[in-house]
Amino acid sequence: MTRITVTPNPFTLVPYDVGEITALVEEAAALAGLPPGVDIDLTVDEELFAPLTGHMSDVVDGRVVLWISGGNFEDNRRPCHFSADQARVDLAVMMLRANDRLSDDFAAAPPDAELSRGERAAWDTYAVGRARALGIDVRRPRQLYDFRLQHGFTDVADAAFDRCWEARSITWDGIREICKETGATDRAPSKVPVDLLRQK
Amino acid sequence: MKKMLPESELARDERFVRTKIEDRIFDPRGPKIAQRNTGPARMGVDRPAAGERSRSLMHGIFVGEIQALEGAGRTCYDFDDDTAPFQLKLDMARQCWDESRHCEISVKLGDHMGTEIGEYTESTFLFAAACNPDPVFRLCGVNRALEGLAIDVFSSMKEFGNESGDPILEFCEDWMLADEVTHVKMGSDWLRRLTETDPDRRERALEFQRTVDAIFNLGGFRGEDDENPIQLARDFRRLAGFSDDENDSLAALARESTEQAREMAAMATAALDASAQGS
Repeated sequence: MTRITVTPNPFTLVPYDVGEITALVEEAAALAGLPPGVDIDLTVDEELFAPLTGHMSDVVDGRVVLWISGGNFEDNRRPCHFSADQARVDLAVMMLRANDRLSDDFAAAPPDAELSRGERAAWDTYAVGRARALGIDVRRPRQLYDFRLQHGFTDVADAAFDRCWEARSITWDGIREICKETGATDRAPSKVPVDLLRQK
Repeated sequence: MKKMLPESELARDERFVRTKIEDRIFDPRGPKIAQRNTGPARMGVDRPAAGERSRSLMHGIFVGEIQALEGAGRTCYDFDDDTAPFQLKLDMARQCWDESRHCEISVKLGDHMGTEIGEYTESTFLFAAACNPDPVFRLCGVNRALEGLAIDVFSSMKEFGNESGDPILEFCEDWMLADEVTHVKMGSDWLRRLTETDPDRRERALEFQRTVDAIFNLGGFRGEDDENPIQLARDFRRLAGFSDDENDSLAALARESTEQAREMAAMATAALDASAQGS
């Protein structure tokens, strides 16, 4: 039996409903094929609004530990309002990445706060491509732009994007290989911590 | 056809959702975020949520272009030839042509970044500056203040395109930037010509421009530091005819706006905290 914890409970700055979010987490976990019995802790930072978006998926002591900006759940067309459609996309991607972490293929991957922006963009693309294959309504050009920002606006980067997008099985070593290929590995380390939005 | 169209009557299809600036100002999350370090506001690939922030700004530019087109179009029509000379209207017609092209470029840039028309809300306070009943005030508010802001925005976006290695963004912004320089010059020329014998009217029009400039600094939106997403483009402003004194005074105004925003955020946070403790 999987235990799902959503924090905060209740929300005080935005009218998000913990019950609705819990149900969506459950749905995403099932879609991603998360093994039963793995507990899930989701923290939503309700102070953050769009476009200050971002999310992280880690596994700590066998538990799936998720963090997401409240902006990811916000309806862009109705500020402060929850968008179930948007939440469904992001939770699916987060859960697919968490499931990757539970497998041997990604056992060597560092926590999300230690990933380079290039590694994260490649892994996200792999996850968003799979979410699409599972029937989630995602937008390819959006992911392509985010990938290009970290891997370059080049034919090599676009070919690498296609491979991540179409792949049904990549390992952590495969992600690192892609970063070498596009030159993302050679970029200077980010001056801004990748988990800055998570820090209060 | 109706003259002096209010912003509430702008025509939009069902894709567009209008928002009021007060909604953002009174959002309880605003003061909380203002107290947090969310990274450099200046555009860059390694700032948090770089892609999403760029898409959101791009959509803002797109709706701004629509309103600039509507504003210039209204100036062609709202005044008789005694109030606004025919040559001025020809300049505004040429500006309509430019703004239409900018709308199309912005839509394509939105596609390039992965966003869609209407994905974000539209605020129409840009068009509001184009509703002044005096054409000289309107030129100062729109062609000098707002098109001046457009120079800063396009210059910042062009730099972002350059830094991220995005040739499409860099190229498109560069072309639009060139048009904005021309639009500001047209505003400056007509301001001088229409107020040649009326220094008082010129001063009042410039005061209106300063008010619009202050509004569009938006509590730190524009400035010369990393905490300002849009950077003051002094060189391009000089090309457009702004004097160094005008640029200095705008920079000072921007610093003042940033400081005011910081103080207001601190006050709002204190008020929210006090209210939370009391409840």
